[in-house]
Amino acid sequence: MMFEAPIQRLIDELARLPGIGRKSAQRLAFHILHVEEEDARRLAESILSMRSEVRLCDRCFNVTDSEECSICRDLRRDPSTMCVVERPQDIVVVEKTQEFRGRYHVLGGSISPIEGIGPDQLRMRELVARIEDEQVSEVIVATNPTVEGDTTALYLARLLKPLGVRVTRLASGLPVGGDLDYADELTLGRALVGRREM
Amino acid sequence: MALRHDQGIVLRSYPFGEADRVVVLLSPNQGKVRAVAKGVRKTKSRFGGRLEPFSHVDLVLYEGRNLDTITQVEVIEAFPHLRQDLDRVLAAGAMVEVLDVVAQEEEASHRAFLLLQRSLRTLEEGPPHRDLVTAFLLKAADVVGVGPALAECAGCGATGGLHRFSFAAGGVLCDRCRTPGAVALRDGLTGYLAALAAAPIDALPEEDPSLSDDALGVSRRFLEYHLDRRLGAAVRA
Repeated sequence: MMFEAPIQRLIDELARLPGIGRKSAQRLAFHILHVEEEDARRLAESILSMRSEVRLCDRCFNVTDSEECSICRDLRRDPSTMCVVERPQDIVVVEKTQEFRGRYHVLGGSISPIEGIGPDQLRMRELVARIEDEQVSEVIVATNPTVEGDTTALYLARLLKPLGVRVTRLASGLPVGGDLDYADELTLGRALVGRREM
Repeated sequence: MALRHDQGIVLRSYPFGEADRVVVLLSPNQGKVRAVAKGVRKTKSRFGGRLEPFSHVDLVLYEGRNLDTITQVEVIEAFPHLRQDLDRVLAAGAMVEVLDVVAQEEEASHRAFLLLQRSLRTLEEGPPHRDLVTAFLLKAADVVGVGPALAECAGCGATGGLHRFSFAAGGVLCDRCRTPGAVALRDGLTGYLAALAAAPIDALPEEDPSLSDDALGVSRRFLEYHLDRRLGAAVRA
């Protein structure tokens, strides 16, 4: 059964969002129908303002609302180390560790020959230009530990080492709180190779 | 709905839902198999790196209506070294891409599986033969039944003067049988292609760098012609 047009329109739009099925969309729509009008307006406006205000940082391609993102503007950050990530969301994850004080560079994806994504589709040229301009001495490759992410890391190492910059890769190993018994061979093998002196 | 056992080499996988992936495997008994690995994108997933491309795994699957769900994975062979070298990863990527195109679901594929397994082992052992991918393409064409005629003319069976290659005729042509669309082959290329196609994948003939690019080009275009599909960047690299 179809609802009256204004409700059905919202249900249809919500159902297009990732992870939202028809039933969830219906529930959300009726929730919005019953909240204060002010709350509904705030939701609508926040969607619109996000779309109109957010852009990519001119320098690192993080999402921001000004020409440069807050990390690139922050003068206390160490300009000599740069962390290369696939997507803007990855910056937030690395920031949460509070272990990294350098700057970032967002590639916009990873090399995937099967999907036709090569180095030219990623922001590699911009990265090389930044390394030269900003006198970076270490590049930390923080792409996903998948075949695509690893391939991207290998490509970056080949591309950047001739520039005289140190290229490092995030270590692979056992998740904190995990059980050795459940570790897979590939991860455990890398954990062994990358073991640390105590 | 029941549990079933299978094994296969992971060809690729793609994100599915919030934290899941659909894994595409080549099984010797079942051909191409698609199955859901729940939660595999989470760092604490019990599957960990077991379902990454190129891994040869033993699986327990829960049969679903559309897609099966993977409940247990055991690695048979992980090929850890080939993942650490750009050229080898790209070669392996090209191989799985080709088999992803040619393999069919629910159709036994022992030969394709063995070809991939041997090729990955060869890559794992050390720097590959520069024409490994070319040899793989020729052998994959043979596995799916479109292996090109390389030792004798595809038109009349003559064994001498084979200087042309016709994608439509399915192999090399002698000067008498040549058709307008057939491409000219450089001296020695016919023999080199035939040697690559005939030798075992782990014991290919001596490399001839001067013929490599042409050999790959002809093999790739031949396979693309018969599969009616362009192969990705990995095969062209």
